[in-house]
Amino acid sequence: MLSYNSVVNDSIKYNDLTISVVESITKINLRGKKRDFITKIGKSISILLPTESNTSSNNEDLNLLWLSPDEWMLYENEKINSENDIYNLEDELFKEISKINYGSVTNITDHWVMINLKGQKVYELLSTSCPFDFKNFKQNKGSVVQTIFNHIDVIIHHKKSNDLNLFVRRSFCDHLLSWMRDAASRM
Amino acid sequence: MFLINCPYCGERDQSEFSSGGEAHIVRPKQPKELSDDQWAEFLFMRKNIKGVQFERWNHAHGCRKWFNMARDTSNDKIHAVYKMGEKPPIK
Amino acid sequence: MSKNLRITNSKFIDQTSRISFKFDGKTLYGFKGDTLASALLANDIHLVGRSFKYHRPRGIMTCGSEEPNAIVQLGNDPSMTEPNTRATEIELYEGLEATSQNCWPSVNFDIGAINNFFSPFIPAAFYYKTFMWPASFWEKYEYFIRKSAGLGKSPTKPDRDIYDHRYLHCDVLIIGGGISGIIAAKTAAQNNLNTVLLEDKNNLGGTTIFQNNECFKINNSYSNEWLSKEIVSLNSLKNLTIKTRTTLAAYHSYNYLLARENLTDHLSLNEKKDKIRQRLWKIRAKKVIIATGAMERPLIFNNNDRPGIILSSSIKKYIDYYGVKCGQKISLFTNNDTAYETAISLSKSGVNVNSVIDIRDKSNSSIVKEAEKLGIKIHWKHTVVNTNGYKKIKSIELMKLSDDGTNVVGNKLNEECDCLGISGGWTPRVHLFTQSGGKLKFRDKDNVFLPTKSKSEQISIGSCNGDFELDDVIKNSNNLIKEFLNINSSDYENLEINCSREIDKKNIWLLPSDKPLGKTKPFLDFQNDSTAKDVKLALREGFKSIEHVKRYTTTGMGTDQGKLSNMHALGIIAETAEVKMGELGTTTFRPPYTPLTFGTIVGRNVGKFFDITRKTPIHDWHVEKKAEFENVGQWKRAWYYPKENETMHQAVQRESKAARDSAGILDASTLGKIDIQGTDSSEFLNRVYTNDWSKLEIGKCRYGLMLNEDGMVYDDGVTTRLGENHYLMTTTTGGAANVLSKMEDYLQTEWPELDVYFTSVTDHYGTVSICGPNSKKILSKVIPDLDLSDENFPHMSFKNAMIGKIRCRVMRISFTGEQSYEINVQSGYAKSLWEKCFDAGKEFNITPYGTETMHLLRAEKGFIIAGQDTDGTITPVDLQMDWIISKKKYDFVGKRSLYRTDTIREDRKQLVGLLTDDPNEVLEEGAQIVEDANKKPVEMLGHVTSSYFSPNLNKSIALAVVKSGKKLNGKKMIVPMKNKTIGVTITETVFLDKKNKRLNA
Ligand SMILES: [Zn+2]
Repeated sequence: MLSYNSVVNDSIKYNDLTISVVESITKINLRGKKRDFITKIGKSISILLPTESNTSSNNEDLNLLWLSPDEWMLYENEKINSENDIYNLEDELFKEISKINYGSVTNITDHWVMINLKGQKVYELLSTSCPFDFKNFKQNKGSVVQTIFNHIDVIIHHKKSNDLNLFVRRSFCDHLLSWMRDAASRM
Repeated sequence: MFLINCPYCGERDQSEFSSGGEAHIVRPKQPKELSDDQWAEFLFMRKNIKGVQFERWNHAHGCRKWFNMARDTSNDKIHAVYKMGEKPPIK
Repeated sequence: MSKNLRITNSKFIDQTSRISFKFDGKTLYGFKGDTLASALLANDIHLVGRSFKYHRPRGIMTCGSEEPNAIVQLGNDPSMTEPNTRATEIELYEGLEATSQNCWPSVNFDIGAINNFFSPFIPAAFYYKTFMWPASFWEKYEYFIRKSAGLGKSPTKPDRDIYDHRYLHCDVLIIGGGISGIIAAKTAAQNNLNTVLLEDKNNLGGTTIFQNNECFKINNSYSNEWLSKEIVSLNSLKNLTIKTRTTLAAYHSYNYLLARENLTDHLSLNEKKDKIRQRLWKIRAKKVIIATGAMERPLIFNNNDRPGIILSSSIKKYIDYYGVKCGQKISLFTNNDTAYETAISLSKSGVNVNSVIDIRDKSNSSIVKEAEKLGIKIHWKHTVVNTNGYKKIKSIELMKLSDDGTNVVGNKLNEECDCLGISGGWTPRVHLFTQSGGKLKFRDKDNVFLPTKSKSEQISIGSCNGDFELDDVIKNSNNLIKEFLNINSSDYENLEINCSREIDKKNIWLLPSDKPLGKTKPFLDFQNDSTAKDVKLALREGFKSIEHVKRYTTTGMGTDQGKLSNMHALGIIAETAEVKMGELGTTTFRPPYTPLTFGTIVGRNVGKFFDITRKTPIHDWHVEKKAEFENVGQWKRAWYYPKENETMHQAVQRESKAARDSAGILDASTLGKIDIQGTDSSEFLNRVYTNDWSKLEIGKCRYGLMLNEDGMVYDDGVTTRLGENHYLMTTTTGGAANVLSKMEDYLQTEWPELDVYFTSVTDHYGTVSICGPNSKKILSKVIPDLDLSDENFPHMSFKNAMIGKIRCRVMRISFTGEQSYEINVQSGYAKSLWEKCFDAGKEFNITPYGTETMHLLRAEKGFIIAGQDTDGTITPVDLQMDWIISKKKYDFVGKRSLYRTDTIREDRKQLVGLLTDDPNEVLEEGAQIVEDANKKPVEMLGHVTSSYFSPNLNKSIALAVVKSGKKLNGKKMIVPMKNKTIGVTITETVFLDKKNKRLNA
């Protein structure tokens, strides 16, 4: 048996800001251009594929983020609780999409680490090193942006008001976290 | 630092992009038929003009799409951005 | 304090709060609200530095950022000291220590001042002309020049302060918190625009905030009272952010601006502790309003640089704002009306004004009449021809101007004074406008350069736009703001404004003296010590372009960028060369507007945040086992694992031997991994790799070489066919991002018709590589269900496997030449998998090895590392890898370039092996290879690219690129080193197991 090792397994609270790492969230990259691809995704997971840039759609279990005109990221709300169904979503989609050449389906669960940022100061934290203007993002729940944070690629999903999920590649996670903590400690 | 209007994502800071040199240079379909000089023309020769220049840019830290830009090199004014495969909207 | 130079009625200075500070070692006192300059003046200290070239005594000349003279060294702690700070901008704090610069041994007795007596011999470009030749003498000159010049000391220890960066986005950014900036801020914020107002001083109001003169009234209030109320009203505006002590440093294209906010520089040493010192704001504004005001010009006359000669408007600020008298017998010298405001302020504060010397014939404005009413004496049509006093001005000599202004006539008058205020008119601060790319126009009426209409979302308002009269400032600013922001009306319509307007104007760039120009010292650039004579000399010597004159004379090249001197330099050049000033153009103002510390520029990206670090999922294990790490791109990779007291060499020799004798284990997680899906996947691979991919069976792996379009090797790696239309590509560690981006580039721009998708999975998988004769046994313990027989699972093939409920991808591929397996597993499980393999391998002495051993092992097999054995000038043919170039394919990226006349040359540098005559001699990587060291010039035939001592062969081995290397097998060569030459023989590139028997052993 193999055991799972988290990058960091804790959450830290600052004044008006909580930074928590949430691992073991299934993430799947979807790519495709064909009409069949779009309809098939909708049917398989019961979410409409967001085709408008910088937006997302979701249902009770899943979030589907627009990344580019032919690329989306799917992630689950809940952590995987049993190793029995760890590959269910991937296998289902792979069978429905990739196998029949509608597009590509790739498991990227551990390519990205999800960091939840919550509190009044989330946007102040982002302003320490994101060149992106969050004005419209802040006003629209479900907004998605791919940008850089301290020169590191990130995907940020506006989940709720002052409650964001930030995705960073696993190998960069330790560096970005310690940078964020340093910044948060001075805010 | 430019503000670049990615044709897919909208206005973003230049630091999200990388530049890919001159646009509208088509890779020859039949390289074998070309002389060394003709191949060298495709491979090495690039314009470097003062004025409006057509360039390739990549939204490297965003949607990762390549697109074209018409930029005046004398004042950095971006006259247009347009998708790959499209004709320049200005002369 | 010998004299009482402080008056008691300033509301900007808190005279109940006394502050002690040190200047040149002497303890002095000032008050809260003082600048270092105002506190020094209150202590009757004018002499604060020495000039750069002649070491003439120099005093405080201004009250702002344009200060050329009062440049001090702040602090004396070796990690905190800061050179070249302006005393006029330093807010006084408890414990401040400052010293004069540019003088040795002290400001009062300065050895370098001897230059002043030699000064006829130090004309423009003296340094260039004298010290440039002969070049070998420079070392001698340099010592002398540096010792006597010395522009402050750099800190010698790391900066302990904390700096920070922030991004800021706004609708309207207003630069400058004077009267027009305040009008703009209020108007913008009232109209629902997200507005930011920046002011470099500690409070808003500019010069109007201390303008309490009967002649300047708004709605029947003194202008300062009216403005105070406006400032209070800003507090209630929700959309407005005001940042004081914030200097705009740079204005780039697309309204991207950098501003430096000073957070703690004004606090006492105790209060500063552990706080962020300065913050750099990176601002992107939709619209920018520049309201930076104007600065007063000096006048250029003989000996105009003595301590005690101060800009007239600064004298006014020192008395009206700081409550400090710059002298007790003050003379004023002017060409315009503003000096009379100073005269009135001084007179009302009880300071004796000797006289006003005005070069004009008359002035009938109300402010002049007001001065006359107070009994202030005016010398019309007079000029100062000389000043006296060495460390402080003592008296001035004045004479009447001739009608044409080129000469002086009549008798010389002497006037005793302890301070001389000078005013040469006003220069709009257009620096930021020009930084943003704006072009200037010249207004002849008052000799000013003004912004032209800017195309970008930007305007200039107030005196930086050429409005110098109070009513013009308010009315024109209001109209420009409304138009710019598309607003119909504002709070500033129909104000009742009374002000004195200047009607009579006269300007003389270089004022005449009774002595010829050669005998006078009319200073232009006070910091760099260039005089009007120098500029004229440059013109005589043939320099015409203003940019050339600037560099030849160094006018405007000091830390102040010649803020005070530029206009006069231009004026004198135009006059001498007989061209119009508007045609001459100006020199370029470059960012930053005032100097920035390196700390501010770098922000928090210091120490561990200096560069990004990436870690593999097995990183912690390597740390526990005390591995040494190597930086590979941004990755931290285990380099070698020293045991006890092992040296690097010993550890690498041990690891390399163990890997071949029994088993080794390597963390290969950093390799780039790209998931490829789509019906055209095989076709795409055919186009980007040199070899053929159509016939690769599902479940098989293949090594691929990627070229640039110019035919040079770009990257390499093994790609596995996972399914009919599904591949997993690996790239080099350093090449991962570039390869993916290059593939997307080809797909999106050249072959958009292909049905193929790439997804990076580099971080999703951790990769454990086990190699060596016992690797199969170890793997069979870790994954017992997997049939590892050579028939079922041969070299260059792949199997899916399960460890418990976790999926793994196992590739039997080898970068060492040993039987070897790479297991890819989801990153979160990689460390666990590694530990499992390590435990299973214990009975076989499994040895963890790092990148150094990996490099050694592959070199024994002659495998290249793209980027080490190749450098962007090497084709696959040069690598003797012709076998990997498909003959069948019509085209692939780089193919056409492989038969250009240059790439088919037979004397290109080609990859070869090298064996040293002495098997214990290890070559240095990068060492040159020659055939005949005696033939001059020595021909460099190539260089060593990889070199190691092989413990498995028990001899030194190397790879190298050598001219015509392919044909030279067996040839003797020489590697010349500093103290010896090393004999080598060219060999094949494969040193060990030429028949690849070990892969299946
Ligand atoms: Zn984009």
